Amino acid sequence: MSEGDQELRGLMVRYQGGSLEAFQEIYARLAPSVRRYLSHLANNSEIADDLLQETFFQMHRSRAAYNRAYAVRPWVFGLARNVFLMNRRAARQWAKLHESREELPELAVLPEADRLGSRDEIRRCIADLPPVQAEALLLRHEWGFSFEEIAGMVGITAAAARARASRGMADLRVALNNLQSAQAARSGSHGANKPADLSPARESVVRKLLKRARA
Amino acid sequence: MIEHSPKPPEALMRAIARDLRPVKPSPQPLRLALRMAPVALLVSSVILLAIGPRHDSALLGPVLTWGASAAQFALAIALVWIAAHEGMPAGRLPVRIVYFAAIAASLVVVFVALLTFSISPASEPLLRVPPWINEKLRTSPWIMGFGCGVGSTIAGGLLVLLFSRIFRNSLAARPTVAGALYGAGAGLAINAGWRVACPVSTPWHSLGAHGAAIVATVILGALIGRFLGNRRLHMGDALSWPR
Repeated sequence: MSEGDQELRGLMVRYQGGSLEAFQEIYARLAPSVRRYLSHLANNSEIADDLLQETFFQMHRSRAAYNRAYAVRPWVFGLARNVFLMNRRAARQWAKLHESREELPELAVLPEADRLGSRDEIRRCIADLPPVQAEALLLRHEWGFSFEEIAGMVGITAAAARARASRGMADLRVALNNLQSAQAARSGSHGANKPADLSPARESVVRKLLKRARA
Repeated sequence: MIEHSPKPPEALMRAIARDLRPVKPSPQPLRLALRMAPVALLVSSVILLAIGPRHDSALLGPVLTWGASAAQFALAIALVWIAAHEGMPAGRLPVRIVYFAAIAASLVVVFVALLTFSISPASEPLLRVPPWINEKLRTSPWIMGFGCGVGSTIAGGLLVLLFSRIFRNSLAARPTVAGALYGAGAGLAINAGWRVACPVSTPWHSLGAHGAAIVATVILGALIGRFLGNRRLHMGDALSWPR
């Protein structure tokens, strides 16, 4: 058990005892990463904002369901996943009921309106992966969960979680290689034009992911 | 869109500050399931205490009379344990285990019913009641079927209500499945007691009346789970999260 996890468990216990400060601390530590996870699941940042609040509200309503034996991060991520799935199911039912109303959005396929400009190659490649692979890959490599923790969140075996993540990584590697080849071909055809669409920060992310993908 | 600061938004803070009473952490799934076992055992034994064990229990032997019921009861507790896991955000069991348990439960009920019939094909409803009632039940066997079906559905329904009260704060992603699982657990637990008391072992009675009661408790559990899940889903609606 890591020190951070132990602290989070202690905070959860204090929160169950009625401490508002403990809740604020838990929120401060977990909300940013949970929001990114929800944003990945919903593929929409506005919906992710709503789901984030819904997740913490549900956590509050069912705070008694937490037991100190569980690690807090997977518990909250799992809860966020449940909240997303339940909302998506409800939205689908609602959409089915009102099929004739064209303005109803399909939550799962809405583009991330505020991120269109900065959507980079990695995100595109990950988005092109099968959703179950992308989710396992991100939970493992982006948020650092163990395969056992992923299995508990998703409802699969640890071996299946490992297989999904490694299949996702293999597919990502192929997609990134293809993308790099295409970029190299483009820059070759445009003379000395450097692929200037990569900012230093994005370049570093791409390098890191490529390194992981090639490992 | 809200600002992405790690500070909780006002609406959320208000909702949380409204109810900050201390709560008791819930036990882990196995302990939770085992805690329900005595109550389930009590409810499933009521019929046995009321009319006593079946008249052919000596012929069936202790393994098929009590052992088969004990196995069904253990399976019922296992189903409740799986339902408890289903309600844990980070503790879900693989879907394969859920399906396996549901299929195993169905097969055990059918297998025990057929085995009991093959060893003691009792079709006469011989109960420890006045002779005229036995005569009436003999001439109209549907009354016995109806009685067993309705009786075990009511007993199972009571257990489902108890389980759903305990699982009311469950955080299941599939609340209908979680409800169906504890409904199946309740139905199976009741059948474990009921089959030891019921004097009729014909397959149509065992599967038609007792089996139908299990199906009824599964449906009841699924409906309650769905209702609780929907209620949980719409709890946040009233707060209208600010963007």
